[in-house]
Amino acid sequence: MVILSFIRIVKFAFQDFFRNFWLSLITITILILSLFSINFLIIVGVVSQAAIASVESKIDLSLYLATDANEEDIGVLKNELTLLPEVTGVEYISKAQALEAFQFKHKDDSEIIESLRELGNNPLNPSLVVSARKLPDYEKVIASLDNLSKNNIIESRDFDDHKSLLTSMQNITYKAQQVAILISIIFGAITILVVFNAIRIAIYTHQKEIRIMKLVGASNWFIRAPFLAEAILYAFGGVLGIILIFYPFVHLLQPYLGAFFEAGNLQLVGYFQDNFIKIFGIQFLIAAIINIVASLLAVGKYLKV
Amino acid sequence: MITFENVTKIYPPNIKALNNLSLFIGPGEFVSIVGQSGTGKTTMVKALIGEERISQGKIILGDWDITHIKQREIPYLRRQIGVVFQDFKLLPKKTLFENVSFAMQVCGHVPSQIKAIVPQVFKLVGLEHKMHRYPSEVSGGEQQRVVIARSLVHRPKILLADEPTGNLDSINAADIISLLERINRLGTTIILVTHNKEVVNSLRRRVITIDGGRVISDQKKGKYLL
Ligand SMILES: Nc1ncnc2c1ncn2[C@@H]1O[C@H](COP(=O)(O)OP(=O)(O)O)[C@@H](O)[C@H]1O
Ligand SMILES: [Mg+2]
Repeated sequence: MVILSFIRIVKFAFQDFFRNFWLSLITITILILSLFSINFLIIVGVVSQAAIASVESKIDLSLYLATDANEEDIGVLKNELTLLPEVTGVEYISKAQALEAFQFKHKDDSEIIESLRELGNNPLNPSLVVSARKLPDYEKVIASLDNLSKNNIIESRDFDDHKSLLTSMQNITYKAQQVAILISIIFGAITILVVFNAIRIAIYTHQKEIRIMKLVGASNWFIRAPFLAEAILYAFGGVLGIILIFYPFVHLLQPYLGAFFEAGNLQLVGYFQDNFIKIFGIQFLIAAIINIVASLLAVGKYLKV
Repeated sequence: MITFENVTKIYPPNIKALNNLSLFIGPGEFVSIVGQSGTGKTTMVKALIGEERISQGKIILGDWDITHIKQREIPYLRRQIGVVFQDFKLLPKKTLFENVSFAMQVCGHVPSQIKAIVPQVFKLVGLEHKMHRYPSEVSGGEQQRVVIARSLVHRPKILLADEPTGNLDSINAADIISLLERINRLGTTIILVTHNKEVVNSLRRRVITIDGGRVISDQKKGKYLL
C-alpha cells in the first residue's frame, strides 16, 4: 500500500510537471543557473589550486659553493642535505655546467660573451639546487644549514620564494570565490522564490482535486506529498541539466586554462569525472533540500488541509 | 449518534452563524434540515466534518468528541461521513468511473478493492451502464448521482447532503431524494439540508427547522414550516 501510494504520488507529480510545462522549464532553468554558479566556484577552486601548486613547484633554494671547493666536500654536503627530512631532491651543478647554462642564457648578448672570453677562466661558482615540498619546509632547510659539517664551503645562497606572486594569487582566488559565493547565494534565493511560486501555482491548478481529496478523507501527507515530490523532481531535472551543460563547458574551458599551466597540471575534466558522485550527488541533495523547503513554505501557506 | 450541544459559531469579525444550537440525531435516521438562506445550515455541516471550528459548545459523534479534533484525525472523521456539497463537483477531465476511483485511490485503496467497490456504488445509484462517460456527457441529475456514489465508497455511517437538489428540476430532484431514501434503508444515517418544500413534504420524515443559528422546530413527521 505504501508502494502504491508512492507510485501514485510520483505519477501525480509528473503529471503536474508536464501540465505546467513552461513553468517547470523556467523553474529548472533558474535551478541550472544556480548550480552553474556553484560549479563555477568549484572550477575556481581547482584552477587556483593548480596555479598555486605550479608556482610552488618553481620555488627552489640554490646554494652557491666556493669556487675552490673540492668534489669530495661537495659530495658530503650533498649527502647531508639529501638526508634532511624536508628535502625531496638535491641537484649538483658544477662550474662547467654553470658556465654552459650561463652562456646559453646569454647567447644573444655578444658583450657578455665577449667579456667572459676576455676573463679567460671560469668565474662561476658550482652550486647545489635543493628542492622541498612546501614553503615552510624551505625555511626549515635554511635553518638547519648551520648544523651541516661542510657548511663552510657554502658561499652564498639564493632563495626566491615567489612570496608576492603567491600572495597575490591567493588574493585573486579569494576574491573570485567571494564573488562566486555571492552569486550562488543570490541564485539560491531566486531558486527558493521560483520554486515557491511554481508550487503555489501547482496548488492553485489543483484546487479542485485538493478539495475532493480533503472531503473524501485523503490523509494530509498524501495531499501534500505530490508537491514535495514535484520539488524533488525539479531538483533532479536541474542536476541532470547542469551535468548535460557543464561537461561541454568544461571541455571547452580546459584548453584555454591548460595553456597557462605546464602539461598535466590542470585536469578539470578529470577532476569532475573522478568526483562525479561527490560533486553532483551533493548538489542534488542541496538542491532537493532547498526545493523541499520552498515547497513546504508554499504548501504551508496555500494548502490548508 | 450525532450530538450538538449548545453550539455557537462566530465568524470573524462578529457574525453569529450558530447560536447555542443543540440537537441529537440517532443512527439510521433520515433528517431534513430546513431554513432560510444564511441561517447557519452549511456552517452546521462544516462543523460536523471538521472544516470549521466552533466557538462554543460540543459536537460528539458516537462516543467521539470531535469538538477539538486534531488536524491529523480529520481524514478518519471524513471517511466516516460521506458529503455532497454544492461546490464539491466532479473532475471534468476524468470519466465518471475515474472520478469515483480517484476518491478511493487518494485514500490508499488497492486496485482490487477499487475494482470491486466502484461498480457496486454505480449500481446502487443506477449508473453502471454510463460509468465510462465523462461528466459533460451525462445530465445534471446523473452527475449528482455520481457525486453521491463517490461519497459512498468508504461505506460511511452518515451521509451529509447540502442542497443536493439545488440546481435540479423537480423530476431529477425526486430521483435524488428516492436514491437517498434507498441508501437510508441500507442503514446509512442521512442528513439532508434543503429549502425545497416539495421534497421535504413528500418525505414525511423528521424535519428540523433552523433560524438565526438555532433550532426553532423539530418534528417527527414534519412539514416545511416557513
Ligand atoms: N467563511 C465565512 N466567513 C464569514 N461569514 C460566513 C462564512 N460562512 C458563512 N458565513 C455567514 O454565516 C451565516 C450562516 O451561513 P451558512 O451557514 O452558509 O448559512 P446557510 O447554509 O443556512 O445558507 C451567514 O450570515 C453567512 O454570511
Ligand atoms: Mg448553505
